[in-house]
Amino acid sequence: MAGIGRVYPAWTHRVSRAKVHEYARALGEDDPRYLADDDTCVAPPTFAATFTLIPAAEALIGDDGLGATWNLVHGGQAYEYGPRPLQPGDELTCTARIADIRSRRGTDALTVEVDCRYTADDERAVLSTGTIVFFDDQSDGDGGGEA
Amino acid sequence: MSASRLGPDVAVGDDLPVLAQVATLRTSVAYAGASGDLNPLHYDPAVAAEVSPTGNVIAHGMYSMGLASRVVAGWAGGPDRVARLEVRFTRPWPLGSEATFGGTVKEVADDRVVVGMWGKDADGKAMLRGTAVLRRRLSAGDGGGTLD
Repeated sequence: MAGIGRVYPAWTHRVSRAKVHEYARALGEDDPRYLADDDTCVAPPTFAATFTLIPAAEALIGDDGLGATWNLVHGGQAYEYGPRPLQPGDELTCTARIADIRSRRGTDALTVEVDCRYTADDERAVLSTGTIVFFDDQSDGDGGGEA
Repeated sequence: MSASRLGPDVAVGDDLPVLAQVATLRTSVAYAGASGDLNPLHYDPAVAAEVSPTGNVIAHGMYSMGLASRVVAGWAGGPDRVARLEVRFTRPWPLGSEATFGGTVKEVADDRVVVGMWGKDADGKAMLRGTAVLRRRLSAGDGGGTLD
């Protein structure tokens, strides 16, 4: 697969309080700030998954030059945070870039960085670095191991 | 907000509390809806039979990272303490099975604490491995910096 360094069109996202609450409940979180109805509300550390994972995967799968399909697993994930947690009302501009591609027999592991910045001042909010393992359609996910 | 454990008493080798969780169709559907990741591998047995590495429905990798992060951020005193998280998903988590999540302090520096994060399946095999970098000081204006 060619494509290291490829950058996809940016998307914007506005953090909503209802989504922060829903995400925190799905994880069984008990920190009251995750469930707060006022300005103290902040998002759990992995909340960025809600607006980075699927848009990034859709960009890759929509890129005919890659030949990637939904036959994939998530191999690894990192988040590097800006100075404060995400809060409801934050307006973000997110840009996905292919940082690395490692091809083995039957699989291509793509490392995708999604750089999420506050739209207002372009400061880093969170940098998501995900490794997505795409299987060749014939191999039927027999690479095993990753979830 | 729970109290931070990043004060003067923190030491290399300290263990974080352990969280046990059974992955179920309910937890998987809830995480699918909350995250927007509607890949049927995580709730549809017919699809999982075709594409799952185990042949069965498995939890989202991000659900396991979310739980591992819940342990770390809860122990550290909140998400404002978390500077960086990094994990690898090393084994699938089948629905119906219990996994455990925890961590161990690996490094203590003036400004940060590094924790090794882990998740284990019902057989005690590593399902997730990773690292968390935690802030001992919060930036000015965010509610004060010192820890006692």
